[in-house]
Amino acid sequence: MHHIANASLTDKVMSSGDSNPAATPTPCVDIQGDGRWMSLHNHFVSNSKDKEPDVLFVGDSLVQLLHQFEVWRELFSPLHALNFGVGGDETQHVLWRLSNGELAHISPKVVVLWVGTHNHGHTAEQICGGIMAIVQLIKDKLPKAYTLVLGVLPRGKMPNPLRERNAQVNKLVKEAVSSLPHASLLNVDPGFVHSDGSISHQDLYDFLHLTPQGYQAVCQPLHAHLKGLLEKQAEN
Amino acid sequence: MSGDEMNPAAVAQAVEDIQGDDRWMAQIWRELFSPLHALNFGIGGDTTCNVLWRLQNGELDNIGPKVTVVWVGTNNHEHSAEQVAGGILAIAQLLTSRLPKTKVVVLGLLARGEWPNPLREKNVAVNSFLRSWLPRLGQTQFLDVGAGFVHSDGTISTRDMFDFLHLTAAGYRAIAKPLIDLLRQILEETPEEKRASLL
Repeated sequence: MHHIANASLTDKVMSSGDSNPAATPTPCVDIQGDGRWMSLHNHFVSNSKDKEPDVLFVGDSLVQLLHQFEVWRELFSPLHALNFGVGGDETQHVLWRLSNGELAHISPKVVVLWVGTHNHGHTAEQICGGIMAIVQLIKDKLPKAYTLVLGVLPRGKMPNPLRERNAQVNKLVKEAVSSLPHASLLNVDPGFVHSDGSISHQDLYDFLHLTPQGYQAVCQPLHAHLKGLLEKQAEN
Repeated sequence: MSGDEMNPAAVAQAVEDIQGDDRWMAQIWRELFSPLHALNFGIGGDTTCNVLWRLQNGELDNIGPKVTVVWVGTNNHEHSAEQVAGGILAIAQLLTSRLPKTKVVVLGLLARGEWPNPLREKNVAVNSFLRSWLPRLGQTQFLDVGAGFVHSDGTISTRDMFDFLHLTAAGYRAIAKPLIDLLRQILEETPEEKRASLL
């Protein structure tokens, strides 16, 4: 990976195209052989044709699995939410999906974006650039929508480089969106890391994915924040 | 006011089942398997090799289950159907040798992908090998829980597998029925003396 030694923060976070793989729309290659990623994408595109969601959740497994737990029906169905999460997705995959039809038939008021933890091999700057490219794309396609970026959660049982990377991603994204009226970063980590540096499997059963208890802790404040945003959107 | 008005406190009304029958994922384990005193040593993405390693490196050291349910093989992307079946057989052999009193139940691999594809054929082939090999191993049986997931048009529904691979709550309920029936049957067959000695 080449490092842009003297690039300004803006250059780093707004980089797109070939210079940042995390910000270059890229479909998932079907290496396993059953075409599931494209099946899911096609489903999202066609399913959205008769839906009128107020909220769209898009991202990786943390978004996708949310749909399988009771908390979805409890908190987000009532907000008329759609879920376009795909396990394993990195920023460039979400960017491709949203560029290729998933936003074509809907006009949600709020887009909740949660992605970045699976961007292995990318730097925090690149991942931030990927997230900001998605924020920009949403602005282009849905000029009236508000994008709520969720902070990437800590992971792994004990401190490790991915925790540092994720924290740095959140810091960079927070700075990048601070000047934007149509987007913000919400930290949804309720304090998963204990004083001894460990994460409990009661919250993240494999130290990456959330248990029902973990989802409750994340989603209650998220839900409250979303309701506030939707009310503000209604006023405008 | 008038005598025609009913006293709401005297109107019989059942408690509203707000949770409904459409129970979600976490409840299925608690509801159906916890009562059987079950432990879950599943890890997402594991291949037969990974499971073998875990079982050889401590996971069987301190327990004496009456039944061990094995469900692995769909992630063995580098291996042929015959190799995958061989890996599952090795796991069953390891279990019966390390835990002489356990009965092993091997679950068949499910279909996957929205449409017919080579991985479905591969998983069918694995199951076919297992059907013929496992009966030769004592204390081991094969259970196919995949019936009904592939519709007549060849598709799998996201109602059963939300990503055409992993089961939804509804999908888990469907496979739990035949599995629980078999587990109950096996547990009932285990005589009291054997049960006491396993404690």
